[in-house]
Amino acid sequence: MSSMGTTGSFEQVNSKVVRVPVSPAQPVLARRGAMLGYSGQVTFRPVFGQGHGVGGVVGAAMSGESNPMMATEGEGSVLYGYRGLHVTVLQLDGSASLTCEADRLLVHSAHLQSSVEFIGQGGVRAAVRGAVTGQGLFTTRLHGTGPVALLSHGGTFAMPIDGETVGVDPQAYVGHVGALQVELSAKVGWRDAVGRGSGEAFQLHVSGHGTVYVQASEKKF
Amino acid sequence: MESSTTSPTTFGPHTLPANDNINPYAFSVDLDGQWFITKGAMIAYYGDIRFEAVTAFASQQAWVAARFSSPVYIHDWVIAEGHGKLVLGDRGFDINSYTLEDGNLVIKANNLLAFEPTLELKQSIVPGFVTLIGSGTFLASSNGPVIFVEPPFRADPEALLGWADVPSPSVHHDAAWMAQSFATAVQGMVGRASGEERQYDFTGAGTILLQSSEVVRHDPSLARLVESQTDLLSPSQAGALGRKLLAREQAAKS
Repeated sequence: MSSMGTTGSFEQVNSKVVRVPVSPAQPVLARRGAMLGYSGQVTFRPVFGQGHGVGGVVGAAMSGESNPMMATEGEGSVLYGYRGLHVTVLQLDGSASLTCEADRLLVHSAHLQSSVEFIGQGGVRAAVRGAVTGQGLFTTRLHGTGPVALLSHGGTFAMPIDGETVGVDPQAYVGHVGALQVELSAKVGWRDAVGRGSGEAFQLHVSGHGTVYVQASEKKF
Repeated sequence: MESSTTSPTTFGPHTLPANDNINPYAFSVDLDGQWFITKGAMIAYYGDIRFEAVTAFASQQAWVAARFSSPVYIHDWVIAEGHGKLVLGDRGFDINSYTLEDGNLVIKANNLLAFEPTLELKQSIVPGFVTLIGSGTFLASSNGPVIFVEPPFRADPEALLGWADVPSPSVHHDAAWMAQSFATAVQGMVGRASGEERQYDFTGAGTILLQSSEVVRHDPSLARLVESQTDLLSPSQAGALGRKLLAREQAAKS
């Protein structure tokens, strides 16, 4: 309980539920509808938009990346879970930021800064990726120091990347931490066009230094 | 979590567990007599077991009516009778068995899977929940392992699985949430009602059972339950309610 500042204190109750202590110094932001229950004097307040400035608000409005969030404040302990999805708790140490889809965010420390940004370098390639993966052109980036809980279907596993390139199915990609480049590679032939392809025509190629989190399922939500 | 990578175990009528979990998602009942089970919960059985609707049973045997006093839910239940091993499961949810000793436990009707006839089932005052009274074993499913918490505690209605030995909950409305929602509604922001403004508030001593919130499953009994409560309305109120509900259906379609 000596959670000073923004060190992590999320407790994984089971694979699908996380217990989060809340105090006046440590409010959290959570996905709306994800609160399972709480003890203590805790209040919930819906918040709109993410990040700051034009990029945040306009980006959120444009991209569908406006995941409804709520602020949780007060003094107590709150249980979070969402529709039986698996929960992965990460600890951001301030040296690297987390990039993921906004709807993957279950709960995170309010001390983490969030911003909405273009995935990749923009342009046609990013547009194609957004259209193909159905995951939008924008992703959410969290930076700072503190804990964050991510949602996944079937749990995640971490793939550390140190200079090499890893291919990930776009549907299985959950998020990544660190300085990673994510590129969509498409190898679409006539077989894919007639529905006889391998089903793996599109892959995310992740390279750089960091960790990519992958869910053990191709089911999105 | 272990043994998931080892080769699957093969069970026979004598090697199936007796009144124990086969894995987190399936439970084997050593049946000798009768059990109440929900329709569709049976996934396999060994031995001489007959399944008959509770409604058919109740007309013949007085003890059934005494044990199962819930006209709303009676259509969703069958009685398994005979001798053998009965394997039960529910949508791949985690299944737990609980034993009550002269107890009183309230559980979400959707998540109650089976119970011994030594227990008595009644409808809870909270809609969508049933009460089990007496001594015996029952099975309940949950989305992920069950979490036990103690009051004082406030629970999201969707995540609430049940409660034992606690006074019935009251409804708590989050004032901060409501004020904020109203303010933003005035600003023209789209604020859907799906929020955390309403919680069940537990006080006193006892245990509360929670699960990870699930996609609310269509509960066929709920419509019947709500309909039975409209008896409280006057005819003109009932008519007004009907028109409102009709408008809601049409709004949802468009």
